[in-house]
Amino acid sequence: MGTKYTIQELIVARAAKELQDREFVAIGQGIAMAAGVLARRTHAPNAVILTEAGLLGIDPFKVPLHIADPTCTRGFTYSCDMIDIFTTVLNQGYVDATFLGVGQIDRYGNMNSSYLGDPDAFTIRMTGAGGAPEFVGYAGRAILTMSGGAFVEKLDYFTSPGYLTGGNARYEAGMPAGSGPSVLITTRGVFKFDAVTKEMFLAELHPGVPLEAVREEVPWDLKVADILKTTPAPTGEELAILRSFAPDVVMGRKLQLEVVMKQVINLLTQKAG
Amino acid sequence: MEKFMDADKRMTAREAVARFVRDGDSFVFANCLYCMPLALTHELIRQGKKNLMAFQQGGIEEIDQLLLSEVIDRLVIAYNFRSGGPRIVSPLDRALKEGKVVIEEMTNHTLLSMMKAGAMGYPFLPVLPGIKVTDVVRRRGFLGDQRFAEIRDPFTGAEMLVVKGYNPDFALIHVQRADRAGNGQLWGAMINSKWAALAAKKVILSCEEIVETGVIMSSPHLTIVPAHKVCAVVECPWGAHPSEVLGHYDYDFPFRALFVGSSANPDSARAWLDEWIHAPADRQAYIDQYCRRFGKKTLDAFRAKPFKSVPADYGSTFSLDWDEEGRSRTMGMTMAEFIAMLGEKGALIDGN
Repeated sequence: MGTKYTIQELIVARAAKELQDREFVAIGQGIAMAAGVLARRTHAPNAVILTEAGLLGIDPFKVPLHIADPTCTRGFTYSCDMIDIFTTVLNQGYVDATFLGVGQIDRYGNMNSSYLGDPDAFTIRMTGAGGAPEFVGYAGRAILTMSGGAFVEKLDYFTSPGYLTGGNARYEAGMPAGSGPSVLITTRGVFKFDAVTKEMFLAELHPGVPLEAVREEVPWDLKVADILKTTPAPTGEELAILRSFAPDVVMGRKLQLEVVMKQVINLLTQKAG
Repeated sequence: MEKFMDADKRMTAREAVARFVRDGDSFVFANCLYCMPLALTHELIRQGKKNLMAFQQGGIEEIDQLLLSEVIDRLVIAYNFRSGGPRIVSPLDRALKEGKVVIEEMTNHTLLSMMKAGAMGYPFLPVLPGIKVTDVVRRRGFLGDQRFAEIRDPFTGAEMLVVKGYNPDFALIHVQRADRAGNGQLWGAMINSKWAALAAKKVILSCEEIVETGVIMSSPHLTIVPAHKVCAVVECPWGAHPSEVLGHYDYDFPFRALFVGSSANPDSARAWLDEWIHAPADRQAYIDQYCRRFGKKTLDAFRAKPFKSVPADYGSTFSLDWDEEGRSRTMGMTMAEFIAMLGEKGALIDGN
């Protein structure tokens, strides 16, 4: 094929493949929403997207700025509220999967989206927990993506439960049987979790990425699948959908900030005159 | 809880905040991300309110603006947008580091459950217990142990996690429409609005438009906050700008980006607050300033195109018990026959 793609396009296209038709999926904004919509427009047309803003059965026409924006509310099937989503939908077991972006992650898929550095003397307060702890705790499985985050031996702050200390720890702590992170897609490869120990291992390498590049990012002795696959490159169809639906996701956060701020300055100075 | 029964509670944002907000009060935002009560928020800042405690699920810019203005010193929150990305030091980062605010970290579900318990008049409410392993539950902020507790299910003996109910002194809410008495109607993303508004001891409401009570009575399913909870009604077009209000306007991304960019350092943040909060006397003046700076066309470009909901038909036969000939449909009698029957049966009392 030889079609060129951005790293975000690769991540989104790979994440979208994790969703199956007729599944309920809880999604936030950005990469996660792009993946959910891509799945619905390709192999999973009957997947039902919900957001914790109380919106179920949404069909966003462009990538939303946030979980409640008008992109999500032009036609949806069930208007409830945030408590309803977490109780009558999530706690009753209707949510098959959730997509989530990761700040920090440890070897058992536990996550931090709250503080970088010691919380009492932090360097950055990230967004905070939001709905992540419950969605990761109670959805059938969590599909994780990480494009600006980091692997760590020990989280600075424990926001969302993966497999805790591994093995059955997560289920002993009361989370639903079989739930937990199923996959982590980063800028270098795709990780899965051992069925017994629940430790993550590298399952796929992105095209052209050497194994060493992955090991450099992981502070522990990373386990690697016996047969290491290559992540499939996004197809032309996937790229066309993504570039039209979510151009700002496709270019990545850093470039987005640069391009959007330039455009904002243009708009503001133009219209002042 | 005080019941607010005035038939006409219309007033300006200035009057509402001056009359109903005291320094040191606790309050909750009864909108999150969508349809934000920013005109009311700006009035808190303009009047220099101090030492407020805020509950908010997810801040988008209002929390940062309140922190920059040193209006709040206690914050219960689950999420705060970092539009500038991880490299920028946000106003929340700065306020925490300088000790100007103390924080309590919650999740969306548990924070709103605090409000729902309070709204229901319950001391506490169960929440999903799996999160008790996380630092959100394990670490304590300024609320200490007045937040989570573990109890046993009295029926099964299973371990449960509960949150304490709260009733903030007031709520701020912006809605599409309300009547003069404050029956407020909101549609779109409902998020936290109902439970946050109902938890508060009183609700300061702003709306895009005031409508006749007849409009409310034909669409009561849209009423999210009933008049008896509402102490003030502020008619305020563009009252949520730069956030969005379905049926009225979209979010204004460039304007929002202007604030995010300005908030990155204290000097430019102060200039932003001066231009957009302190200089304009009210929301109309803010909109006038917007049109001067960016042109009315820029503002008009955000106006919503219609996407109408099919009206609910509340129709019935509307027939009285008495038919056109004055005969009861259920008894087959006229009024005279009915009264005679009551007399014959000894059901009528002679009170003289």
